[in-house]
Amino acid sequence: MSVALAVAVGGLFAVGTFLLLQRDLVRVVLGVAVVSQATFVYLIAMGGIDEGTGDLVPVLEVHGGGVPEVADPVVQALVLTAIVISLGTTALALVLSYRAYEENESMDVTEWKP
Amino acid sequence: MSRFVIAPLLAAVTTAVLTLALGRRPRIQRATSVAGAVAYVGTVSAAVWSVVLGPAAPGAAAYQVGGWPAPFGITLVLDGLSAFMLTIAAGVGAASILFSLRYVTAENQRVYYHPLFHMLLVGATGAFLTGDLFNLFVWFEVMLIVSYVFVAFYGTDHATAASFRYLVMNVFGSALMLVAVGGLYATTGTLNMADMARRLAAPDAYGIDPAPVVGLSALLLAVFALKAGLVPFQFWVPAAYTAAPAPITAMFAGVTKKVGIYAIVRLYFTVLAAASVPVDAPGLTAASPLGFLAPVLGAMGVASIVVGGFGAVGRDRLGAVFAYSSIGQVGFIAVPVAVAAAAPPAGTLRGVAIAAALVFALHHALAKGLLFLSAAAVEDATKTDRLADLGGFAGHSPVLSGAVFVGLLSLIGLPPLTGFFGKLLAFDAAVRGVASAPGPSSALALVALLLGAVLTILYATRVWVGGFWGRETTAVEVATVESGQVAVLVALAAAVVLVGVGFDPIYRFAETAAAAALDSEGYVDVVGLSGGDGA
Repeated sequence: MSVALAVAVGGLFAVGTFLLLQRDLVRVVLGVAVVSQATFVYLIAMGGIDEGTGDLVPVLEVHGGGVPEVADPVVQALVLTAIVISLGTTALALVLSYRAYEENESMDVTEWKP
Repeated sequence: MSRFVIAPLLAAVTTAVLTLALGRRPRIQRATSVAGAVAYVGTVSAAVWSVVLGPAAPGAAAYQVGGWPAPFGITLVLDGLSAFMLTIAAGVGAASILFSLRYVTAENQRVYYHPLFHMLLVGATGAFLTGDLFNLFVWFEVMLIVSYVFVAFYGTDHATAASFRYLVMNVFGSALMLVAVGGLYATTGTLNMADMARRLAAPDAYGIDPAPVVGLSALLLAVFALKAGLVPFQFWVPAAYTAAPAPITAMFAGVTKKVGIYAIVRLYFTVLAAASVPVDAPGLTAASPLGFLAPVLGAMGVASIVVGGFGAVGRDRLGAVFAYSSIGQVGFIAVPVAVAAAAPPAGTLRGVAIAAALVFALHHALAKGLLFLSAAAVEDATKTDRLADLGGFAGHSPVLSGAVFVGLLSLIGLPPLTGFFGKLLAFDAAVRGVASAPGPSSALALVALLLGAVLTILYATRVWVGGFWGRETTAVEVATVESGQVAVLVALAAAVVLVGVGFDPIYRFAETAAAAALDSEGYVDVVGLSGGDGA
């Protein structure tokens, strides 16, 4: 399971970085979204995703292991927060990309003035 | 006592909400905004005095948000270091908002300017106060989202392009930060910075393996350096600084950049200093994260000084000169921090070097704030900020030019101005660094500081001779300077002089801040980790 997640995170980061390096504005925005998703999967993986025993959950392992068979609640709280922030940022990126396209009259970032 | 800790944050949030609600009543909105800035300065002063500086002050205090005990809840901590940074933020914030009233047009001030301005303060205040690593990420995002909007504020081709590039770069930075925070959580089992410091100091007792900490902290260093605009992450600085409204540029230079510096100092010196992890990278062996920080941050600082200095000398617009100068000046803050990281933990050098960096940060916030606002006032009056079109401003408007003169002299580092002490202490730290660890790297830092000082004299002279001396150009002859703007500039120039003349208490404040930054155990005690079985 961890291997699958590692591959997923690596793949998402690779795709996201590839998109971020494109010249087309829309692809860059998609890259922004994909890179954010990669970090969410990674965050969830950091909580330990194997079937739940207390000693796999970092927060329970070091603060009393008396709660068996539970997924790590901390990373879920973190990822929820991060998703909300990413939603806002991606929405702003979309609006900004349209506005930047209007002002610079090109979807190609390399054609913009420096 | 602990209530004082959250007061500045509440003042800024309340003002942001109120000014947003009052968007349809511009006059009341502006009055509320100024009142909110005054309340912010008041709460910061009250908190700093009662917690850190006053005669009966405990030196540091913590506030557990929502009453959740640390390490499970979010902890806000006000110690010397946070207090010093908050004081800078309050000073620059008050000057910027007053200048905004007379600079940004009434239409542009309507609706969003004031709420966004106070949200920028909220983000910076939260970042300075928080004692939780993930919460630091959240405050960064608050600050960044506002910054994106401010960079795109004027909606021109230049501004939207700068904002889009700034956004993409910082989204990638945020992704890296999340990776680092998640990794540190998996490694140490906590997000609370005090808890993390305690665990890393005794990894065996808590059953953790601190080996990944250095790599993860390196990711964080990259993110913080991006916020601070250190080379090689400086690309966004000139475009964003010239695109944003000038009072916001003063905030970026004075407050947002300092958040990056603050985060580096807080993370490495308070949280990671106690960890001993062998580092074995190509060309770099060390015994702790600080041993990793010293050469890397030193190299970044030296490169920033060179790139910023040479960049500033070659620009032909006032705003661009100061934006590049800002890159170089952050290098001047980074080099003493690197000297502190290289210093032995027991000696006094570490505290001296951190204090030097903090004093330089204060100097940069004041002087660069003054210069960015002056450049805006000049551009507002003449409708140009090209050095070629300016000239003879000193004869045309002696008061405004006098303020610029004070700012430039402080940048160069003439006594008794604030910049003199900033440069003096930075050089002092670098010389002591050479004495404590003689070698090519510490000598290179000293040479870079010297080169940076020479370049500063060059571009400051160029600005003065090109823009303010000589015969009045046609653009200057017809210029009318706005007296409200000049009043703010004079106040800032007076602050630059007064901080320099009455430097002793300021230096003691900086020493207190440096001591707080280095006192991991004191930090852990103040947070009071009473939750869980770790107590």
